[in-house]
Amino acid sequence: MARTTSDQLEFVRDLSQPSGVRKHWDGRNDSVFGLQGSWQIDPRLSAVVQATTKYRYDRTYNPEIAWAYLRYEPTPSATLRLGRLGTDFFMMADSRWVGYSYLTVRPPGDYFWYLPFYSINGGDAAYALSLGESLVRFKAFYGLSNGQIPLADRQWDIDGSPMTGASVEYQYAAWQIRASYANITFKNDLPISDILQAYSPDPAASSRYLASRDRRSDYYSLGVVYDQGPLQVQLMLNRIEQGSNSFESSEGGYLLAGYRVGEVKPYLGYSWIRSVQRNTAGRQVIEAKIMADAHADQATRIVGLRWDLARNMALKAQWDSIRGESTSIFPYRSDPASGQWSGRMDVYTVTFDFIF
Amino acid sequence: MPIRRLILLCLTTWLLMLAGAAHAQLVVVVNARSGVAAMSRNEVINVFFGRTRQFFNGVETQPVDMADSHPDRARFYSALVGKELSEVNAYWSRQLFSGRQQPPVKAASPEDVMKLVLSQPGGIGFIELTKADARVRVVY
Repeated sequence: MARTTSDQLEFVRDLSQPSGVRKHWDGRNDSVFGLQGSWQIDPRLSAVVQATTKYRYDRTYNPEIAWAYLRYEPTPSATLRLGRLGTDFFMMADSRWVGYSYLTVRPPGDYFWYLPFYSINGGDAAYALSLGESLVRFKAFYGLSNGQIPLADRQWDIDGSPMTGASVEYQYAAWQIRASYANITFKNDLPISDILQAYSPDPAASSRYLASRDRRSDYYSLGVVYDQGPLQVQLMLNRIEQGSNSFESSEGGYLLAGYRVGEVKPYLGYSWIRSVQRNTAGRQVIEAKIMADAHADQATRIVGLRWDLARNMALKAQWDSIRGESTSIFPYRSDPASGQWSGRMDVYTVTFDFIF
Repeated sequence: MPIRRLILLCLTTWLLMLAGAAHAQLVVVVNARSGVAAMSRNEVINVFFGRTRQFFNGVETQPVDMADSHPDRARFYSALVGKELSEVNAYWSRQLFSGRQQPPVKAASPEDVMKLVLSQPGGIGFIELTKADARVRVVY
């Protein structure tokens, strides 16, 4: 359940959600229910299926197969998976909906808003190398994306867009460091041709200029986690380079620290996102307007508390204080009419997470 | 006087037993056939958190965890990594529901731990030192 202090824009968890939270308490955006089954076919081969229901791009809660794959381990240090898989574009990106597994009420938005991709139909390979007490893990994946991204009242079909990526992770005692690269090449243009037809003096030229089809977005990330006894600290940095003029390249990150006292774990965090405006000199008005929709420049202070009240149950409360430019509208839903957005918003959230 | 001495003796014995129960040391044992003689704390952590699936000699690890309801589990993770069970369970929920790996099998009693450790060459578990016998080797 969450509420904000603004009715100017709607707060969403990430860009896969078509509408979000305003000033009244709303449970849509942070609720999820999932079931998972796994079968050990033989000691080296297993199958996993996970189904989830959550608020999705078409404003329904229709259940989806989040993942369904075969997992093969030719040796204890190598793993191959084939089927529908979670993608870890960034550290922890593949467990964003497993609320019980992390400290905060939701993964920090400034870092994860731009990542509405959850799964691919494809394969991945991982290899773990043991170096005495430390470990190095390599992983690479390739597949076709599976999903839609909502844009105002429309949907942008990214189904079948190829995604590929690789990561290397180093782990020693309480330290974990991970660097990754991933990209997606979009299969379709944004669903804006009718807008360009109506408002652009030269729709064909505008459409070419704002094309996203066959344009690639590159995602770089670096994550450091220190997890020792009651103390947990995470630092994540990312850089996203957008190949399409419709989007702005950005840099973001977050720093989060929590310390457990008994069964209660208070935490503090700071996250930020800043995208670089493209030069729109000489562009059509409608092109500049569409490009401005993709701007983000803001920071969020996070204060929260996780309470593990019973076995496999956690209650969390969090206050997000978002402070940004009034042009920072990309992370939100519902365009502010005539620039009413102040760039400031506080979000209050209470969640109850459980596993069974 | 003798009665008082008897009471004192009983009391002392009782206190010693209490102390013994509280401090019954938990140790990490491996199947004696694994060829592993000693492990460092970090190696033990790597095995029980599924970070590595092999001992240094290449033998595949078969870690045996315990059920939440058994007090040894909380004691073990508290001593090993200073974590509460809720944190250990949160870790495994991430591993499991992100499709990375399945958690280790869980034994209900120390006897089950011994049975499971002995059933496979790479068996590794934690039990009280007094419950370990010659079929297993104490490595940590």
